[in-house]
Amino acid sequence: MIQLHDYPLSGNCFKVRFLMDQLDLDYQSTLVDFYPGYEHKSPRFLKINPLGQLPVIEDNGQTIRDAQAILVYLATAYDTSGTWFPRDRQGEIYQWLAFADELTGSISAARLHDAMFYSLDVAKARARGTKLLRIVDEHLWFTEKDGHDWLVPLPHPTIADVACLPYIALAEEGGIDLAPYPSVARWMERFMRLEKFKPMPGMMPLEMPKETP
Amino acid sequence: MIGDKDIALWRGEDGKIRAWENRCPHRGMRLSYGIVRGNTLTCLYHGWSYDGTGGCAGIPAHPDLTPPKTIRTKVYRAADSGGMIWVANPEEATEVPAIDGAWAPNRSIHVDVAPANIAALTEGIGAELQSKITDHAAILRVPNIEEDILVAFLDMKEHGAMIHTAVPAKATEAVAIAVSKLSTHLRQVFKASSAA
Repeated sequence: MIQLHDYPLSGNCFKVRFLMDQLDLDYQSTLVDFYPGYEHKSPRFLKINPLGQLPVIEDNGQTIRDAQAILVYLATAYDTSGTWFPRDRQGEIYQWLAFADELTGSISAARLHDAMFYSLDVAKARARGTKLLRIVDEHLWFTEKDGHDWLVPLPHPTIADVACLPYIALAEEGGIDLAPYPSVARWMERFMRLEKFKPMPGMMPLEMPKETP
Repeated sequence: MIGDKDIALWRGEDGKIRAWENRCPHRGMRLSYGIVRGNTLTCLYHGWSYDGTGGCAGIPAHPDLTPPKTIRTKVYRAADSGGMIWVANPEEATEVPAIDGAWAPNRSIHVDVAPANIAALTEGIGAELQSKITDHAAILRVPNIEEDILVAFLDMKEHGAMIHTAVPAKATEAVAIAVSKLSTHLRQVFKASSAA
């Protein structure tokens, strides 16, 4: 069974959980006390990932780190439908996987500053995040105009969407207002309505969990 | 955001647009995270619900209680016109702008700095003013675009501004795309002097 070194408040861990749920994979989650324990920087964890970052998976004797790399690994190894990482669209998908890294370096950094008291230049992180949101909002506007719903114009989502969604959806936890990006809002709603989608803390549900009077 | 006021916009099943202060009277949660069912808005935090007029309609923790009439959200005036939503302070007597013809909303973009006025926006677009609608909205003629366009801006003070565009409902795809590209260009015109 796949072992996931996991942290519930990490957008990067969310990506891996989401894809494993979509692919109906059995996995075991080992929780790492990222904050306030900084367990990902402990000697024990550094033996698993010398970069001291989450997530990491262990599968069939292999250890794989980096959320985007894990998405590529899982889709290649286990996606029998071939829709999550289509062979003929890999260039486009890698472009968005690199974009997701930029989101981690900006919006996610702003969120670490606001929520977990990381010391960093938050104004710079927010400004960079805003630039990225403008780029993705514009891309999605033209994509929608062509009748498509997803970052890579196909009739179904790909790991490009999985990689970019969480830190965009969590932007307000980093002090970045999402209201100015209407195409992004529609894309997030489509994503959150996918079957087997389970929100993580900080993602606002679209419906009440149960009927209230 | 309108000026420095945070507003929650929502539409019930009756199709009516509502603009409320983005703050639940109970614990101050943003109502924009709330959920619309029928013609009521329910706050995500503790499930207090509000009817279309802003009055509290139910408190889940006290199912038998009829909520006191004093529990109300702050309600702004809101209306649809020209493919856009218009909001005014409750005490303002401003008429809803009457805009001729059928318009389709096009692109909305965020800029760093609000245009000083509609003339500055017109000039920034490189357009010619056809008719002014309000101090923040006008119908413009843009060179090389075969239809007039409707443009409005929303000043959000230190949060920059939104620029909204609409095109005639009968406009072609090519017009819509040209207007969208024009919107993108406006970011360069209305950017903070410190921005690269």
